[in-house]
Amino acid sequence: MSGVVGEPVLAIALRTLAVSGAALALAVAIGVPLGLALGHRRFPGRGLLVATVNAGMGLPPVVVGLLVALALWRSGPLGTLGWMYTPQAMVIAQVLIALPLVVGITLAAVGALPADFHLQVRALGVRGPRAAWLLVRETRRGLLAAVIAALGGILSEVGAVTMVGGNLEGETRVLTSGILMYTQMGRFETALVLAAVLLGLTFVLAAALTAVQQASRR
Amino acid sequence: MTSDAVLAARELLVRPGARAGGFTLRVPDLALRRGEVLAILGPNGAGKTTLLRALAGLIAPSAGAIEVRAPHGVALVFQHPLLLAGNVAWNAEVPLWGRGIARRKRQERARAALARFGIAALAERDATTLSGGEARRLALARAFVVAPDVLLLDEPFDDLDAAGREALVQDLAGAIRETEIAVAIVTHDLRQALLLADRIAVLDAGALAQLGARDEVLRRPASAEVAALVGMANWLPGRVRSRDAAGLALVELAPAATLRVATACAAGTDVWVGIRPEHVKIDVDHSDPNTLGPASVETRVSDGALVVAWIDWHALRLRTHLLAGRGLGQTLKAGDGVFIAVRPEDVHVLPRDPR
Repeated sequence: MSGVVGEPVLAIALRTLAVSGAALALAVAIGVPLGLALGHRRFPGRGLLVATVNAGMGLPPVVVGLLVALALWRSGPLGTLGWMYTPQAMVIAQVLIALPLVVGITLAAVGALPADFHLQVRALGVRGPRAAWLLVRETRRGLLAAVIAALGGILSEVGAVTMVGGNLEGETRVLTSGILMYTQMGRFETALVLAAVLLGLTFVLAAALTAVQQASRR
Repeated sequence: MTSDAVLAARELLVRPGARAGGFTLRVPDLALRRGEVLAILGPNGAGKTTLLRALAGLIAPSAGAIEVRAPHGVALVFQHPLLLAGNVAWNAEVPLWGRGIARRKRQERARAALARFGIAALAERDATTLSGGEARRLALARAFVVAPDVLLLDEPFDDLDAAGREALVQDLAGAIRETEIAVAIVTHDLRQALLLADRIAVLDAGALAQLGARDEVLRRPASAEVAALVGMANWLPGRVRSRDAAGLALVELAPAATLRVATACAAGTDVWVGIRPEHVKIDVDHSDPNTLGPASVETRVSDGALVVAWIDWHALRLRTHLLAGRGLGQTLKAGDGVFIAVRPEDVHVLPRDPR
């Protein structure tokens, strides 16, 4: 399979979707509840935590890649998993990159609610899961912004996925790591095709999410 | 709890915490009764909102108890009601949705509640596009949708213009009459408190300064602070001099300025004397048996409905109110010499603390 032709673009694109999709789902599943909780609970050390989240929004992906590589390396704390140079490693790295974005933007969305939001919801007689649902409903535009930002961060990222994925053909090659490799090889046509697919994918997904976000205005 | 009380605070002590200013709210005994409106009046920071939230069960008291006999619940409308994303109908349905009531039933009851407050036509409108008055009506409809036993309102008329306020008061009065709901209205504005109140509670610096029937509080404020809050504009220091044959006391306010009043205070007692402006009568033909003698009009202002005049009487300034637009209200002007009269029973006398 290796050599001049290389892996089909479609396979790379589908793998990209699978890895990034899994990472996005995990980041949202962890980050949104975390952001909602952090947004309306008051506890000692909250300020420090919020500052950490905000700093994490600018976390350099290569640093994440380095930390994940250190953890997954054969002699590292998670070395026994044998995940180095696998899609699992890439998902972990991308989750870590996206998580601060999801938490931070969710936090901001909750912060934009009136200060007595929870008290008023309680006064309306809405409790438990319904109150949580109302909170999601009221912040949904912000939550979708968090998803869009996380998607962009994940799809465009190359450093960390290359470091922990290894850009192995047929296993861990994704659109960004493919572009990087083909460019270095001087195979600009292939790099351009991958780039076009990546841009197309990003646009279509972002446009779909934006449509949902705008539809939720009413 | 007496039989008609649906919500009562007993020996209530609330410390809302440093975040809310760190004051302590103390209310020994306060009951809301079915079909009755209690106005809770007080200056900003008196603890009105804290009291309302404690009554609604949203703040846990540090001590004491809130006794509730309200099977359909207690509804609280905040000063700035939360309007949820979505249309007006959804906003009105939310309390029913929170209680797990089926959609059809929800829609039916929300429609009725919106109609009660005259905004049924706005059901499909985006709630965030409502005017201030419409938003108020929506918040009230949403409170009534669960047919609560108790309705707690935090500054419900504050951001409305006069016409909007009047219309809303009418609708609210009708809804209160029909549903026989127990209502508490918190406000810093006496005129808003008086719109609907049967009873008045005055809250000052976290303490219940007075609680009583509307006229009782208006005519017999329990302290100088309450007197100022309930519009007893003529509040003067004096001393009881003697008693006349009819058993009325003579109170001297200034040299040559004495009033005949009904009070149990003994001669020699230092007192506060309070007279509501509407009880200072301009005695046109000097025929009133309760005349205080000659005086002069110092200043006169009018907002079109009411004339407010300050009368100079033995170098004391007494405020009086007249209806604008007719009779004296039309003709009285600054500099006029007049006679004034005050009935002894309209004078409130309170021993002055030797503080």
